[in-house]
Amino acid sequence: FPGLADVSISQDIPVEGEITVPVGSQSPDEDYSTLDEPVKDTIMRDLKAVGKKFVHVMYPRKSSALLRDWDLWGPLVLCVSLALMLQGGSADSKDDGGPQFAEVFVIIWFGAVVITLNSKLLGGTISFFQSLCVLGYCVLPLTVAMLVCRLVLLAGAGTVSFIIRLIVVGAMFGWSTLASTAFLADSQPPNRKALVVYPIFLFYFVISWMILTFTPQ
Amino acid sequence: RHPLATFFHLFFRVSAIVTYLFCDWFSNSFVACFVTILLLLSFDFWSVKNVTGRLLVGLRWWNQIDEDGKSHWVFEAKRVPTIAASTEAEARIFWLGLIICPVIWTMFFFSTLFSLKLKWLALVIAGISLQTANLYGYIHCKLGGQKAISRATSRLFGTTDIPKRQSRSISEDGTEEHGKTGTR
Repeated sequence: FPGLADVSISQDIPVEGEITVPVGSQSPDEDYSTLDEPVKDTIMRDLKAVGKKFVHVMYPRKSSALLRDWDLWGPLVLCVSLALMLQGGSADSKDDGGPQFAEVFVIIWFGAVVITLNSKLLGGTISFFQSLCVLGYCVLPLTVAMLVCRLVLLAGAGTVSFIIRLIVVGAMFGWSTLASTAFLADSQPPNRKALVVYPIFLFYFVISWMILTFTPQ
Repeated sequence: RHPLATFFHLFFRVSAIVTYLFCDWFSNSFVACFVTILLLLSFDFWSVKNVTGRLLVGLRWWNQIDEDGKSHWVFEAKRVPTIAASTEAEARIFWLGLIICPVIWTMFFFSTLFSLKLKWLALVIAGISLQTANLYGYIHCKLGGQKAISRATSRLFGTTDIPKRQSRSISEDGTEEHGKTGTR
């Protein structure tokens, strides 16, 4: 189409010349992206995002907010508080539950990474950090369970307290697994859902086991 | 122009390193040191990624997930019209801080490994990954900015058969978005 080619080239160049050159000389003050926002805005925006995700975990509705803007602050805070509560409590010695603290950390993060790899290898559509984000935030019920267990253990360590702890930990374990499955299972093809849910079940089971078998010195 | 940002850029990184080296003097408890260093590293990661990068050198990078659930890594570079002496000094401090600290944490990694103080290994690995992630992100922004500028100049002075698609890579608000890499 030689005739059409002539027409299109002569109309293209002036249009592109006008579009590209003035854009370069626009002042950066007309920038409406977040490159120039004040620092306080950035902090408040991120804090609100973290808070919204905590609320989503407690009332798991099917929303994409948790998945869309992932962040790892919540998992960090939860992991640190869980690991702090899980260690002996005797200060002033060099190995005061030191290995235990790092163990909890490694179990949680390494376990989350392995589950994410597993779901990606099974053909999931969720991204790496999104999955880490969801798994980390869904540790929240178990952290609450740990808090309750420590309070119950202050009252005594007999059979009654064990039964109470068992019920609480069991309920929170179920909540965690259901919450994370609600977010993660959708990204899998339907015949693979069980293969993805089982490692998540195992992950939260191990954490619940650590919580249940915790006895202070 | 941004003395507070420069201070904080270096403050968290250097305090993390100092705390790691002298943790025995501060406290006997392994847990307190671990948590303190981890929190310092996290604050450093967040502030360098979200605040000091854009204030000191006008670069920014993030990850965004679109409607299909695909993740894109976006690298943004602000085109700075003038280069004042103060911004050059700030930029130099920024890049020095960004490059030297991961190197120090890598040295810590080897010293921990060979002295078999393995309980610190998790922390050192976390430190290396957080700081290297920032380093990698900003280098990608910087290289992307330079590549896009050279692409723009070659387009203005270059050949005549310009495909229409390329003019869209420079967005209307004076910044350049580059490098929408594919799904991770």
